[in-house]
Amino acid sequence: MAAFEPGPAAMAPIVSGDAPGENWDRMMAAAQVGDANAYRTLLAQLAPWLRRYYARRLPPAMTEDAVQDVLLAIHEKRHTYDPARPFGPWLAAIARYKWIDRLRSLKAEAAEPLDETIGVPDHGDTVIAGSTFRQLLAGLKAPQAEAIRLVKLEGYSVEEASRATGQSVSLIKVNIHRGIKHLTNMIKAAGDAD
Amino acid sequence: MRTDSLVDRLSQDLRPVRRRNIVREALLLLVLGVVEVAAFLGMGFMRPDMPMAMDAPSFWWKLASLGLIAVLGAGVAILSADPVRSPRRGLRWMLICIVMIIASGWLIDASGNGLGDLVRRLDWVHGLQCVWKMIALSIPPAIALGVLIRRGAPTDRGGTALAAGLASAAWGAFVFVFACPSDDPLYIAVWYTVGCSIVTILGRAILMRLSRW
Repeated sequence: MAAFEPGPAAMAPIVSGDAPGENWDRMMAAAQVGDANAYRTLLAQLAPWLRRYYARRLPPAMTEDAVQDVLLAIHEKRHTYDPARPFGPWLAAIARYKWIDRLRSLKAEAAEPLDETIGVPDHGDTVIAGSTFRQLLAGLKAPQAEAIRLVKLEGYSVEEASRATGQSVSLIKVNIHRGIKHLTNMIKAAGDAD
Repeated sequence: MRTDSLVDRLSQDLRPVRRRNIVREALLLLVLGVVEVAAFLGMGFMRPDMPMAMDAPSFWWKLASLGLIAVLGAGVAILSADPVRSPRRGLRWMLICIVMIIASGWLIDASGNGLGDLVRRLDWVHGLQCVWKMIALSIPPAIALGVLIRRGAPTDRGGTALAAGLASAAWGAFVFVFACPSDDPLYIAVWYTVGCSIVTILGRAILMRLSRW
């Protein structure tokens, strides 16, 4: 039907050096007919690609969960892959969908205490990690970006963020909630514009 | 769980899967549509003046319009239950169709009488019955589309659920056309819009939750 277009997810950015493997199409097609070895090889190769994908898009503590979430989604939805089409856009679409899903989950966790491993300041990977996420924050209102940065990236409690910014505890939670909603809309809008 | 362990667990006992087939899914919906129309008419709901009604342009207007929306909506819904396809362009086409349908309804109406008998024409008692029946008739397609979408992997769940809600609403109204005693475009524009809106809003809300993956 002419009324359809490739989804925004099909054009999710695959940054330099992250290009999907050449044989992934073939391995996924083999997995669909029950080739467990091809499937294991494929998933093992996908995991590092997904780690790099999420390292730029999510707070570090969420990366591995997101990777596993995508591997499970690929497993559950592997019948939706069409071997006549390239595997890369299909993978990128699922990774992007789960990225937005993870960002939404941050809203639900807005008031929960955070894992102390979040945002270790001088860990090398952390400097790179979340770079795309931080760029996205720049598109938010300053109080929203500040609340998300402190609580979600740097590991402050909601109370500590409140004292640091002068915003009330309730306002911190509201700004996290609204900011993340805005973030997911920005990602979707960017995809639609593509 | 470590990612390596997850990879091992997922690849152990891997079973072959049956790939999605859009044509098969479309045929399944077509069969469901035929069965629903046949069952509805078989239960004696066909309007008694059907031969006369078929001479009225408004009868063919509502039948063709609703059929078009149902086909377009179902197509958008099942095609966009694919991670790499967006329902947005399809939804825009549906919106254009709906606006053109309403506009053409007013044109048909403009050739009729004035506004004096507005309340009589709206006939709210029968109108509410129409709404109820349309909603009931939209349940089978909504369930079928829900199953197909859930089996798929839509990445714009809101858009896909909206397309499915619109398709179910138009589908229920399409089937109801065979029983609806009114050919008054005003009556149809008002009550069909009410019925279709309820199904679309509820359908989108429910199917969006069901299609989460």
